Amino acid sequence: MRIPASVVMGLVTGIAVAAAPAQADYPERTINVMIPFSAGGGTDVPGRLFAQEMEKILGANIVVSNVQGAGGTIGATQLSKAKPDGYNLGFMPVGTTTTQPHIRKTAYNDKSWEPICLVSQSAQYVFVPEDSPYKTIQELAEGAKTETVITGGPPPGSLHHLGQLAVAKSLGVEFKYIPHQGINQVAKSMLGGRVHMTTFFADAAERFNFRPLAVLASERSSNFPDVPTLAEVGEPAVSVVWFGFFAPAGVPDEVAGKLSSACGEAVAKPSFVEAMAKVKRPIHYLSRDEFAAFFAEQYQQNGELLREAGLVK
Amino acid sequence: MLELLPTVLAQLASIEVFLAIIAGTLFGSLIGALPGMGTVVALIVALPFTFSMTSTAAIALLLAIYCSSVYGGSISAILINTPGTPQSAATVLDGFPMAQQGKADLALGWATVASVFGGLFSLVVLVVAAPSLAAVGLHFGQIETFALIVFALTCIAWVSRGSTIKGLLAGAMGLFLAMVGPDVMTGFSRFHFGVFELQGGFHLISVLVGLFALSEVFIRAAIPEDTDAKPLTNVGFRVAPWSEWKSRIRCLLQSSVIGSFIGVLPGTGATAATFISYAEAKRSSKRSDEFGKGEPEGIIASEAANNAVTGGALVPTLALGIPGDGGTAVMLGVLLIHGVIPGVQLLTVQPEILLGAFVTLFIANILLFFVGMLGAQAFTRLLRLPESLLMTGVLLMSLVGAFAVRGNPVDVIVAVVAGIVGALLRLVGIPMAPMVIGMALGGTFEESLRQGLMLTDGSFIGFLQQPIALGIMILTVLVIAWPVLGPQLKPPGKPRTG
Repeated sequence: MRIPASVVMGLVTGIAVAAAPAQADYPERTINVMIPFSAGGGTDVPGRLFAQEMEKILGANIVVSNVQGAGGTIGATQLSKAKPDGYNLGFMPVGTTTTQPHIRKTAYNDKSWEPICLVSQSAQYVFVPEDSPYKTIQELAEGAKTETVITGGPPPGSLHHLGQLAVAKSLGVEFKYIPHQGINQVAKSMLGGRVHMTTFFADAAERFNFRPLAVLASERSSNFPDVPTLAEVGEPAVSVVWFGFFAPAGVPDEVAGKLSSACGEAVAKPSFVEAMAKVKRPIHYLSRDEFAAFFAEQYQQNGELLREAGLVK
Repeated sequence: MLELLPTVLAQLASIEVFLAIIAGTLFGSLIGALPGMGTVVALIVALPFTFSMTSTAAIALLLAIYCSSVYGGSISAILINTPGTPQSAATVLDGFPMAQQGKADLALGWATVASVFGGLFSLVVLVVAAPSLAAVGLHFGQIETFALIVFALTCIAWVSRGSTIKGLLAGAMGLFLAMVGPDVMTGFSRFHFGVFELQGGFHLISVLVGLFALSEVFIRAAIPEDTDAKPLTNVGFRVAPWSEWKSRIRCLLQSSVIGSFIGVLPGTGATAATFISYAEAKRSSKRSDEFGKGEPEGIIASEAANNAVTGGALVPTLALGIPGDGGTAVMLGVLLIHGVIPGVQLLTVQPEILLGAFVTLFIANILLFFVGMLGAQAFTRLLRLPESLLMTGVLLMSLVGAFAVRGNPVDVIVAVVAGIVGALLRLVGIPMAPMVIGMALGGTFEESLRQGLMLTDGSFIGFLQQPIALGIMILTVLVIAWPVLGPQLKPPGKPRTG
């Protein structure tokens, strides 16, 4: 049977016509937001709060899925291979997207993503237990010159590890780093007196009664106005952990634009601001273009940091 | 704190909270009973619902799910030889043989009462001693944990019926499986055979589902049983008379203590607790020879311990903000979302939250009894389905469960391979339980050893200088030597139990 050209043409236009409004009407079905860590964890909590706001703004169902393992790289790999149609998105932290690709041979890199927006960013603090003999960052620096200061954090190459390397470099000392499975185990070791120092977010002060000695940011934080930056006592050292919203590269421009403006709206919603304040996560918004530039810079910087630390050959 | 009780009761006395507890208990038992879907999956499924609930109701829902899912695992362990959750792996050892003898109703009765008792016991522990026990948990450092894990590994000898060599072999395989994937000490992955998806390691659930559930399915498919030899005549739910219980009270208490204590230590886990409890019960019981053949004490030891872990694990979660196991880790996140900061300040800042949690747990544990009574009827009815239908259901649920744990499709393949391996191992008589012990403990075993060695600058002698660790190691040596030394001592005194 011969198929008339007009029918073929008709079909093609039909498909094209059907496809075009699909983008204009985006989103018209359920959106999957992948979070590469376990439910209830440090990435999951802000991720779910964010997804909840986006759901209201976009008017489409959003399903959050947690794909865990290997520093978030299992989930990120899945997402990087997903169809870039705007229905597969991810809420991922700095480590998964900018350090793990350097450490492991991941199938994805900085070019695999279309960064949509930056949602949250927290500075790390140098923390010691409440009963620690070190009352100030200077005392910690002095102490580390004469005795062994044991520090702890997640596995080498983690942001906490890199943060502590930066602190050591800033103060001109060396610490003995004991890797732990996760930050909860570090807290246990600290409270039990087996680890003397760690880097953590601001909420550790309230959760574990830890004492902040310094902030790894370029300026002091309003949370602890008395706590100095490292630049005030030694070499400047900055280590922030951020969480961003990503689509796989190749997502249609209009879709990315739509997501980006929805994101800007979401982070400003009073309900989101309130919820994030409750979980003590600072909102830090960067729009699509700003975030893309920031992301590229972070990817390169963290790669250098890891090479300096000898964690990447 | 008790002066707040009227306020807290008033808060809890709402339809929403009460429905949350009932729904949580039903849902948790059901998910727990499905092979492959354990506590964590049940909590994750419920997580989105808690967003729109009041904090009191949300916490009530999750706590009810938490304690009932652990119980639910025993139902499938007894009825279909497949632990619904890793925590129920030891329940299989005596629960299934008992069901095969046509006493499934009794086995469920033992399991239910032991679970409720263990849960309530640990709740009392939580209420009375949370802050002081949390402090004890903190002093249980890397070296002490290592000693405890070594002690727990001796359980392999007690749960390997028949050949000890085969048991040890299975235990070693389990330990090796736990080594695949991320190496905490270096941040790199190892033994993943170059397969990227395996960089996250094997998950205990997917291996467990394969070894127990899928291997059962494969074997039944390969070697069809006589269809008329269905032994499950007594279905339903029956609690043994008091005279039977009386002589087993000691085991019930001992298992609850072990479960609560191990629950308090963050990171050791309910699976370890049940096996330690089982081994202890077997060692100290007058009916030692009956273990593994359908002895109720075996069920009690496992079920009282695993439900006692729930209260125990909440101690560090609520008092320190450090989750005691995977389930409490999810709960910690939900608490944070609802503006409750678990940790040292919870008791002083929001005591009503803590008290509300206690009351919820109490109600949920009592409800478990009724859920067990009604649920047993429903579940045993399922068993009357044609075997082909039942096994297809088990297969489907197992694979969904393996995938749902962490959303990694490779876990489904792992489960199937584990199923084939499990079927082969069964045919040559290698027991599964030691493999589960090895795998459940392997990660902590390695991490505590290597961290401990870093802390002592590579010296094993340093391990023996820690008094608690030394005590546990001496106990371990005694337990290993007991079968040889025990009969030599006169009169044959009973060993002290810990």
